[in-house]
Amino acid sequence: MSETTSETDRTATTTAGESEERIRSEWTEYRTDKRTKIAVENLDVWYGDDHAIKDVSMDIPENSVTALIGPSGCGKSTFLRCLNRMNDRIKAARIEGSVELDGTEIYDPNANLVELRKRIGMVFQSPNPFPKSIRENISYGPRKHGDIEKGLLARLFGRDDTEEEAELVERSLRQAALWEEVNDRLDDNALGLSGGQQQRLCIARCLAVDPEVILMDEPASALDPIATAKIEDLVEELAEEYTVVIVTHNMQQAARISDQTAVFLTGGELVEYDDTDKIFENPESQRVEDYITGKFG
Amino acid sequence: MARARLDRRLEELHDAVRELATLALDQLRDALSALADCDPALAREVVDGDDRVNDQYLAVERLCIDVFALEQPVAGDLRTVAAAFKISTDLERVADLAGNLAERALDGCTPFAEVDLASLGARALAMLEDALDTYPEGEAWACHEIADRDTELDAMCAHAGDSVVRELITTGDGDTETLVADASAVLLAVRDVERVGDHAVNVAARTLYAAEGDPELIY
Repeated sequence: MSETTSETDRTATTTAGESEERIRSEWTEYRTDKRTKIAVENLDVWYGDDHAIKDVSMDIPENSVTALIGPSGCGKSTFLRCLNRMNDRIKAARIEGSVELDGTEIYDPNANLVELRKRIGMVFQSPNPFPKSIRENISYGPRKHGDIEKGLLARLFGRDDTEEEAELVERSLRQAALWEEVNDRLDDNALGLSGGQQQRLCIARCLAVDPEVILMDEPASALDPIATAKIEDLVEELAEEYTVVIVTHNMQQAARISDQTAVFLTGGELVEYDDTDKIFENPESQRVEDYITGKFG
Repeated sequence: MARARLDRRLEELHDAVRELATLALDQLRDALSALADCDPALAREVVDGDDRVNDQYLAVERLCIDVFALEQPVAGDLRTVAAAFKISTDLERVADLAGNLAERALDGCTPFAEVDLASLGARALAMLEDALDTYPEGEAWACHEIADRDTELDAMCAHAGDSVVRELITTGDGDTETLVADASAVLLAVRDVERVGDHAVNVAARTLYAAEGDPELIY
């Protein structure tokens, strides 16, 4: 477990300490059952003079859902964007520390960014489908990556992946729990879909390039309760095959869908990272307790 | 303050649990008095008074469900509501045990010389009072002390049970049916008192967990 604070506001008797030790040992056993997909070590991020992330270390287990929670401006979205180097696009951003994907440093100067973002996909707060057909939204990424080819040129060169594209579109839409709702209008413009459908299309688009990790930045914050429930069900299903890291302002959502939760507090500090049950039932840190029970923040 | 409504609901819940505690303690006190004094009228009051306890138990349950549904409590708040839910069940069962004791008083007093039921009852009652005194703050030393006292009470109840059996064996003469019925009544009363002690420990354990996050006495 990563714990970047040494605060202990609780007084515990020896017996209580032993009991906590037992619970912690059970948690460690659970965590060690899961292989680390992303290992973050001593990560610091500055935007100019603003120290947005302070010395954060955490291991993100594969095939699970990791929630990042905390008040506005605590750095959780900045941290998420560090995981696929989206902050590289911000000139004022300076990053120190290490982020390893399957043991390989993603901040290596020779790292292939296109390949990295294929392996670590991202879904944003507001659905952002391309102003194209539903089918083209799905096939755009694989075509750009050269995974599928179709059209006149492809036929001339003896390669026409039209059938393969159809399979990919169906598979991705099914994985995103959208196929049944759109299979009769794949050539309609994606902007005609509802907000919840657009967001699931964006997830399908992300899945189409066969990622290993999916980063989600408040993916349901603009959706109604039914669309939110569909996204939450989907996230749970995706975690069987993918590693999901999700930023959310909705603490009940974090409690419902995540396996482990990281709590960032003001100043870019990771205060506690533990099993979601532990965070929401009996957190170690009094600051985390105060935050999640609404006593501050 | 952002959580003023939740704080109001939690205070209302604490008040309701305290009211239930008062009712359950009164029932237990009266049942023990009825048993000690062979007072059938008081025993009847205890039996009839169980409905009030049940009503208050349901009121606590309703408040807990409201807080769960409307406030989605987490961390210390969650433990507090869960503890109130569990403690209210313990108190309702204490009142049921008081009812059992009162019914034995209605059946007539059957003192076995070796069994000081009044003393055992007083110990169990004091344990429950002290456990409820810790609610909701849950001072760790006080909660652990109640668990220690329960170990003593268990031993005393076991000894009392042995005494009844020994007296049955050694007192061979007399009406066997009456002797067996009296012995059964006393043994059941001892068991009821012993279980009051267990509920006192449960109250202390849940209070400690709610206040400190320390599950030691639960498991």
